[in-house]
Amino acid sequence: MGARARLLLLLPSTTYRAAAFVEAARRLDVDLTVASDHRSVFAAQQPERLVTLDFGSLGRAAEQAAAFAARHPVAAVCGVDDDTVILAAAIAEELGLPHNPLEATVAARDKHRQRVLLGAAGVPVPAFDLHRLDEDPAAVSRSAAYPCVLKPLCLSASRGVMRADSPAEFVAAHRVLAEILGEAEVARRGEESQRYLVESFVAGPEVALEGLLDRGRLEVLALFDKPDPLDGPLFEETIYVTPSRLSAAAQQSLAACAERAALAVGLEYGPVHVELRHNAEGPWLIELGARPIGGRCSQVLRFGRGPAAMSLEEILLRHALGLPVPTYEREPEAAGVMMLPVPGAGVLRAVRGVEAARSVAGVEDVVITAHPGQTLVPLPRGAQYPGFIFARGGTPAAVEASLRRAHACLAFDLAGERSN
Amino acid sequence: MDRDTKITAEPIDGSHCRFVVSEALLDGARRFSSSDAAKGSPLAEALFGISGVTEVVVSGGTLTITKDSPAPWQVTGREVGAAIRKILATGVPPFAAAPASASAGDEALYGRVADLFEAEINPAIARHGGFVELVDVQDGVVMLRMGGGCQGCGMADVTLRQGIEVALRERVPEVAGIVDITDHSAGTNPYVTASKK
Repeated sequence: MGARARLLLLLPSTTYRAAAFVEAARRLDVDLTVASDHRSVFAAQQPERLVTLDFGSLGRAAEQAAAFAARHPVAAVCGVDDDTVILAAAIAEELGLPHNPLEATVAARDKHRQRVLLGAAGVPVPAFDLHRLDEDPAAVSRSAAYPCVLKPLCLSASRGVMRADSPAEFVAAHRVLAEILGEAEVARRGEESQRYLVESFVAGPEVALEGLLDRGRLEVLALFDKPDPLDGPLFEETIYVTPSRLSAAAQQSLAACAERAALAVGLEYGPVHVELRHNAEGPWLIELGARPIGGRCSQVLRFGRGPAAMSLEEILLRHALGLPVPTYEREPEAAGVMMLPVPGAGVLRAVRGVEAARSVAGVEDVVITAHPGQTLVPLPRGAQYPGFIFARGGTPAAVEASLRRAHACLAFDLAGERSN
Repeated sequence: MDRDTKITAEPIDGSHCRFVVSEALLDGARRFSSSDAAKGSPLAEALFGISGVTEVVVSGGTLTITKDSPAPWQVTGREVGAAIRKILATGVPPFAAAPASASAGDEALYGRVADLFEAEINPAIARHGGFVELVDVQDGVVMLRMGGGCQGCGMADVTLRQGIEVALRERVPEVAGIVDITDHSAGTNPYVTASKK
């Protein structure tokens, strides 16, 4: 009897994704090794199941993983976010496992490099310019075309992203951006934290495409509409609903754009999460990530039917391990998730109305991830959602309505609340 | 009975859901793995009457229910809530205490698991400000509750599945399974908090 396959799963200690990936690995009955940036308290007792890698150093982490794999052969390496997919590519390259080219994952993580590659390949992207934080904002504001969007290179989930419609708004937004990029946990990213993009604002509805690449071919797993307009001045993500209500032709053009974008960046293998807009001119590529959807949003996706239905994580792990994927077809029901907007700045004391929100027809779950005593920080400075609402229904419209009704039931009790 | 009884459903995944009831259902903990085992416990009997329910674990005011039906928890949860309210309204104890005769093997297991928790597990996770409490062992299944830095921690599942569960299976191989009955949403000081990514 052959040895069981071992999966090396790279989990940053601050991920929301641990439970979903660990559960998927358990369902597949593989030997799971969790590698993280923080040493587990059981690392000494379970050295083949829990390892610590230097997530801050690609070379060092790859060496550590290779040393581990020499003792415990690894069949696949999976990252779960923008940073760990780069690490996964470096480790897989070292171990001779299927992987994205390392430079492609690095390019996907670098918002500027990504746009350069996309533009050169003819993928429609907003016009963009790269600037340094220490340039005179007034001078930059005079050269910008409006409306524009200021976008830091090193942050995610809309943090620090602001629209400006005039030079005065530009300078004000720049001041806030400089404060955010000056925060200690951001500034330690070094040069990356000192640069930002100025991008033209592209009007039109935004969607998120969840896909899986295999030798450069894109399998679309889900296309989410974002029914709340993302017109600025901040770009807070709230509701995702799938299937999309856009026309079939629009959906096809968005998928084709996403596939071209992945190829332009050099991605060939594994998950992609793509943000796009669609207007009269066609699709526009806004962001491309060589990773699955973030937060707890994947909970809303199910593939196949009945007890054999698979999570997104199970599909990704099956693909990585070279196991058969019985279906890529999402369940027939419409489904949606709402990332709860941060209601204000302050220390969370309690969330009221959770039970009422759960009882709304169509709502499957309300998860409050913020804990009492946690400081909530809204956009553009914040980096954490306080929770998620999940719903399913017969139509996307019904799902969206359920999410909005449930959200209306919730009340956040904050101490020391102040405007941001 | 108490008309203000509050029931909060916390789905863990498609098969497992935790229900936190605002009043105690049982002094202690008990696991029911079949409708036969549920006989004599009115609420357990009612819960096994719900399509797809395969296991019920009660600990104080917390119920952890396992089902194998494809119905979403939104549907099954309503039936569970109705069953809880109906039984509480009768005024009869919803669960009978675990029969002493059935617990000889479990008692021995309980002692070995408790020793392991005390000697190795808790000293280890105390380094991250956490602890794990052994609630009960029934039919070889360990019911535990995590607290302190583990409660609500983003890496709690890794600690549980890659650390605690593995140690249990190695050191006490008779353990048939683990049920985590922690209310992670109530954790106030998790060791690590998840961020947006």
